[in-house]
Amino acid sequence: MTYYLVIFAAGFAGSFHCIGMCGGFACALGHDPRGRIATVERHLLYNAGRLTTYCFLGGIAGALGAVLCTSRGIEVPVLNGPLDAAQRFLAIAAGLLMIAMALQFFGLLQGFHRVTVGFGGSTLAVSLRSLLKSPSPTAPVAFGVFNGFLPCPLVYAFAAQAASTAGALPGFLVMLSFGLGTFPAMLMMGGVGRMLAPAWRQRGVWLAGSFILVLGLITLSRGVLPFAAHVHALPGGPG
Amino acid sequence: MTERGDNLCSHCLLPIGLRAMQRTVNGEDCAFCCYGCCIAFQVKHGKSEEWEAAWLLIRLGVGAFLTMNIMLISLVLYAGTFSGADAWLLPWIHLLLWIFATPALVILGEPYLRETWAQAAQGRVTSSALVVLGVGAAYAYSIFATIEGSEQVYFDTATMVLMLFTIGSYIEAAGRAKAARDLEPLLAAESECATVVDEGTESRRPVRDIGAGMLVRVKPGERVPVDGVVMEGLSHTDEAVITGESRQVAKRVGSAVIAGSINLDGPLLIQSSGAGSATRWAQICRSVRDALSRRSPIQRIADRVVGVSVPFVLILGGLTVAYWAQLMPFDQALLVGLAVLVVACPCAVGLAAPLATSLGIGRLARCGCLVRDPGTLEALARTRLLAFDKTGTLTSGRSRIVGIESDGAGTDEVLARAAGLERHSEHGLAHAIIMAATARGLEPVVTSDVRAVPGRGVLGNADGQPMAAGNSALMGDLGWSLAPALRERARSLEASGHSVIYVGWAGRVHAVLSLDDTPLPEAHSMIEALRSLGLHVTLLTGDLAPAARRVAAVIGIEDMQACLSPETKRAALDQYRPSYEVVAMVGDGLNDGPVLADADVGIAVGSATDLARETASLVLPPGGLWMLPWVIAVARKVRRTILTNLLWAFGYNLVALTLAALGVLQPVLAAAVMASSSLLLVINSQQLSRLPDPALSVIPERPLSAESDSVSRGLGMPVIAGPAIERS
Repeated sequence: MTYYLVIFAAGFAGSFHCIGMCGGFACALGHDPRGRIATVERHLLYNAGRLTTYCFLGGIAGALGAVLCTSRGIEVPVLNGPLDAAQRFLAIAAGLLMIAMALQFFGLLQGFHRVTVGFGGSTLAVSLRSLLKSPSPTAPVAFGVFNGFLPCPLVYAFAAQAASTAGALPGFLVMLSFGLGTFPAMLMMGGVGRMLAPAWRQRGVWLAGSFILVLGLITLSRGVLPFAAHVHALPGGPG
Repeated sequence: MTERGDNLCSHCLLPIGLRAMQRTVNGEDCAFCCYGCCIAFQVKHGKSEEWEAAWLLIRLGVGAFLTMNIMLISLVLYAGTFSGADAWLLPWIHLLLWIFATPALVILGEPYLRETWAQAAQGRVTSSALVVLGVGAAYAYSIFATIEGSEQVYFDTATMVLMLFTIGSYIEAAGRAKAARDLEPLLAAESECATVVDEGTESRRPVRDIGAGMLVRVKPGERVPVDGVVMEGLSHTDEAVITGESRQVAKRVGSAVIAGSINLDGPLLIQSSGAGSATRWAQICRSVRDALSRRSPIQRIADRVVGVSVPFVLILGGLTVAYWAQLMPFDQALLVGLAVLVVACPCAVGLAAPLATSLGIGRLARCGCLVRDPGTLEALARTRLLAFDKTGTLTSGRSRIVGIESDGAGTDEVLARAAGLERHSEHGLAHAIIMAATARGLEPVVTSDVRAVPGRGVLGNADGQPMAAGNSALMGDLGWSLAPALRERARSLEASGHSVIYVGWAGRVHAVLSLDDTPLPEAHSMIEALRSLGLHVTLLTGDLAPAARRVAAVIGIEDMQACLSPETKRAALDQYRPSYEVVAMVGDGLNDGPVLADADVGIAVGSATDLARETASLVLPPGGLWMLPWVIAVARKVRRTILTNLLWAFGYNLVALTLAALGVLQPVLAAAVMASSSLLLVINSQQLSRLPDPALSVIPERPLSAESDSVSRGLGMPVIAGPAIERS
């Protein structure tokens, strides 16, 4: 449980990063002319769509991790190497990826940033534009779903974390905690607009970076340290 | 144009076939070959205020939302969360899944259902029927399972399969459009708008509405919409689409510009010289569209296989369920059957040939080579013998002076005198003499009292002496003497197929000019390149044997037949068929019409005639003979791509089908496999649009005059017509 609380906190801190990009979308989604309740409903739908995508990505990432690590639950094993070694390898890869993502938040590794954000983003952004203006009440859900797929280093970092859990269910829970963590900030953005001063946003981004860096180091240590220091106590792999 | 959108998909430019989807996007009627293209086109071109584009995305988004939630709930179920003490919750979870799955199925499955229905109404079964049937069965079973309170439901499988199919066809359509973007400029003549300047006001009008004399403004980066003359501005243009040569041509006030060329630097104001629908660009556009909408033999076979396979797969799916139902619970047998139906969808087979062919046609057309039928590429790839016409194909078709024999008079004097006479003549050979004099920087001798003797030559006076240039009959009429050595030389030249002009003055023949059609500078290296491609090359000409032999020797052809009439040319070509199977004929498109039509592949070079009346199935741009080896290499690459595509598609389907029938492949995986198989075909075909340009190194450096000729001929006008128009 502690593990998921840490992820939730990281998501909350990381959401100050979201304000830059996704916050803009939330603002554009704006107020519903039919009143306050309709506006809240709109933003809840949007965030539900986003959360669903995150959870789905988490489940997929976890399942992929499981396929790499164990033959249990999956009919066709991809790799049949020593179980422990594969899990360690996954932890190292995910940890390194997270550290790389974290460094971006401090303005380092900018080339890497372009690779992660540029991949397929433009097509999605075009799709999103036509949804923003749609009067349909279900449009925010669709918008949230696509938004969740937008290339974002934060999401990648936690998807990597989800993969390293080597199980569809824990992967799903990682992304769920993360997604819920981003809820407050995103809802706030929708309702209040750009309330936070840029300086505060910058501090938030550094905070997010620090959290991910720590998580990345923990994940990495799970792969590197001689005895596995599992922070969570969940059984790996779907039953 | 009325045919716009009738037979090519608005998005990926592939032929639509039977399963067209009609939609209105941005106020224009569009037709799509598949649901994926419909979505992809609206995502790319739909305006945000437009309902339909947004509506499709909303459907996708909401469908994805429901599907992902179903997957997540199922994930929790599979993890065994609701076993043991929480088992009483299970029916309620199943009910929740049912509630989620029903709208998802309606939203995502509607296009497939609609297509199945429309085709079934016409008595056809298409691949979408497989999806509808498979998914419908899984859904219906799951409803029964929910009501009965059984352990397992498959709502997740049903919705996920639909979702993957939709995403797969979207990605595939996006990939196809990306691969086919080379075709867009070639088809733009029918759809593009031009900025017409009328008394100071500018308006956008379709190119087809532009008439002669209208003023058109062309911004940098735009295509020149009509043939015309620059009235204002300074720029460079790229005429690759028309002439096949990608190089910059400078344009200033008074320069002629060609429709379809790209204006590179500065804005230009152009006065149109003809109707917008009569340009070579518009003709090319129509020709490419025609070619794309036709079917090649391989494609027809593939389509037939797809048509036959659907009912067969349905039976196979039924048998699979029946077989497995005896060995395992019915629900799992049903899943195996679903996997079989999903994985046997023959989408990739139907895609294999048209995609590669249209990319090949587009790649060639971008260099000015027009393919008029997709079957041409396949035939050309299998061609083992190329027969060439001589005059105007391997040679320039215009005579040049190749020798001057004299009895002591200087070459320059002979040429200057002959040029002085021939300046007043309109005979074809006169041009060659004047060209030769000009090339040597000679001033033609001032000649008076010039008169032409029809069928004989020209007479005149210079420096108070009578002068004559013409054939031996003219000299005989005049009674002028001829040195025996000169006479002998002239006779042997005439016997070897040269045209001979006697030049005389002061009562005596002083020189004999021999003229000949010269081989094109690129001919030799091209023949060599063809031979290195493993092709047999032969020369079929109507000319005299000595002339033919001489040209053949210069360009390196060993096999030749001379003195052939158009009919005997056809017979000669037929003689090669038994040993070479597929034979191609290369001609100039003017005199060789019947032979070109009769050959398996008729190739016309620099056709100045109306493309619509052209009998050749492949038309090279004026002066584009050097591209022939490249064209054949492209054709072979296209054929190889089609074959690998088909092999891949069939192989993939067969392997996946076997795995599915054995129960190894889960339906969701099967759907992912299907989407990836079409995507792999797209990627495999995409390399065709990245083929290198024809290598310019094949041509030895061309003289400048030939260069400017090829540009002026690019307008589709014979060179001689230019001055003729000025005079009238």
